[in-house]
Amino acid sequence: MPSVARAVPLFMIVIWLLAALSLTGVYLYQASESRVVRVATTTSLYATGLLDLLSQEFQARYPGFEVRFIAVGSGEALRRAAMGDADLVLVHAPSLEKRYLAEGVLSEGEIIAYNYFVLLGPLEDPADVRGVDVLEALRRIYVAGERGEAVFVSRGDNSGTHVRELILWRLTGLDPSGRPWYIEAGAGMAQTLLIAGERQAYTLSDIGTYLKFRERLPNMGVMVEGGELLMNIYSVYLVRVPGARLEPAQAFMEFLTSEEGQSLIGGYGVEEFGRPLFNPAHGDPDGRLRKAWERLSGL
Amino acid sequence: MAGLALELGEVAGIVLRSLMVSGAATLLSASWSIPLALRLVLGGEGRGKRLVMDLLNSLVGIPTVVVGLILYFLLSRSGPLGQLQLLYTPLAITIGQAILITPFIASLSAEALRSVRERLWETLISLGATEGQAAATVVDEASPGLVTSILLGFSRAVGELGVALMLGGNIRGFTRVMTTAIALEVGRGEFELALALGAILVSLSFLTTLTIRALTREIGWRTLG
Repeated sequence: MPSVARAVPLFMIVIWLLAALSLTGVYLYQASESRVVRVATTTSLYATGLLDLLSQEFQARYPGFEVRFIAVGSGEALRRAAMGDADLVLVHAPSLEKRYLAEGVLSEGEIIAYNYFVLLGPLEDPADVRGVDVLEALRRIYVAGERGEAVFVSRGDNSGTHVRELILWRLTGLDPSGRPWYIEAGAGMAQTLLIAGERQAYTLSDIGTYLKFRERLPNMGVMVEGGELLMNIYSVYLVRVPGARLEPAQAFMEFLTSEEGQSLIGGYGVEEFGRPLFNPAHGDPDGRLRKAWERLSGL
Repeated sequence: MAGLALELGEVAGIVLRSLMVSGAATLLSASWSIPLALRLVLGGEGRGKRLVMDLLNSLVGIPTVVVGLILYFLLSRSGPLGQLQLLYTPLAITIGQAILITPFIASLSAEALRSVRERLWETLISLGATEGQAAATVVDEASPGLVTSILLGFSRAVGELGVALMLGGNIRGFTRVMTTAIALEVGRGEFELALALGAILVSLSFLTTLTIRALTREIGWRTLG
């Protein structure tokens, strides 16, 4: 293109120079001397702010390390780990974890904390589920839904919370998918809660996100809580995939399970909510959590 | 929570990172998009040109998360470019956004050049200009349009979420940019903070546009051309 050749040069050269300069800038900016741990984590854990606190304390203790969190749903976190894009995962979906353990993506992990899922619903409680067992509650929601009296909002995003919700439905023997009263949000917990609030619908939530949003959900309340089926167990796993950096990951994992890490977890949220958001596992001395995890992972 | 509220220093960091990452992406993209547009409009006739233009035009609206996902598979440790270890770095976002806005800048630049070319070409040639001189004049005359296309490209880059989230991972203090910070704060229920960040994003985009406009008018591309 001889005709263009003469027209282009000067301003293009300026752009090329600027581009090269700024690329170098970005590259220098990201050059890092420290040993990096890439942690793929469930959003419910990250959004509370707990992980930022933990990594700050960890880095204060071990200045050579840097922890980088990638907050996605449990399903996506595990998928990314399998692709070699994480060194450590923090997840809460026992049945998925079991599968990835079997595939050899994860090596034996540790339970670091637990809390509970809660079944939320409108205060008028049209399906009359307050205080009943969670499976019975879902059955009643199904019946009320079919009558057009109740709506249920599902995460629909293969997150830990969504996986649990599907397990619960399966245990009831009912299949809500495709029913007009069963809304699949395909969204994070926060957005799902807002949809549930707008539609005055029932939904399953982790307790931490709900506490955060409680003020925005004036006509919603906890309908069902407690019980092993609603137990929400957070585990940490090392990723055993080529490319995963084992040593820094191990250091952070050890910190999470150390007394110091555990007491940070146990104290988190007290200031804001008057109660801790997570119960630390403290190494699960009586094996209770491990047993619950085993049962949940087999469901 | 109190400890969570973004501090001023952190917000400033996020803002600067956004400008740096997306600014670099825009320049990188312009460094190949504008030559492509010049080639398409002034580079003589070619049969594939109409096709390339149509392709570019239809790629303008590609969902950002699709671009992010495709590049994710390329840059993933198990992908063909995994050895570069670019995933979850600012450079990955820069490259992703540069690719994202390529059809945008190329298409708008080509349009700017074409309208000037249609208006002036015959006249210039009939006045005795060589093709090279005519092309140089067309580029001069179209330069405001070229600047506009670059600025719009920057706006799209700095305001997009999909690529930054997929390739950057929204890592605090490292790849967290304005849009991923906004998405995170929405997820945390900090709506007011998210809105404030949104307002900052728009004002910054606006300010950048004004500044670049003033600068290019001052210097004048004509003298460079």
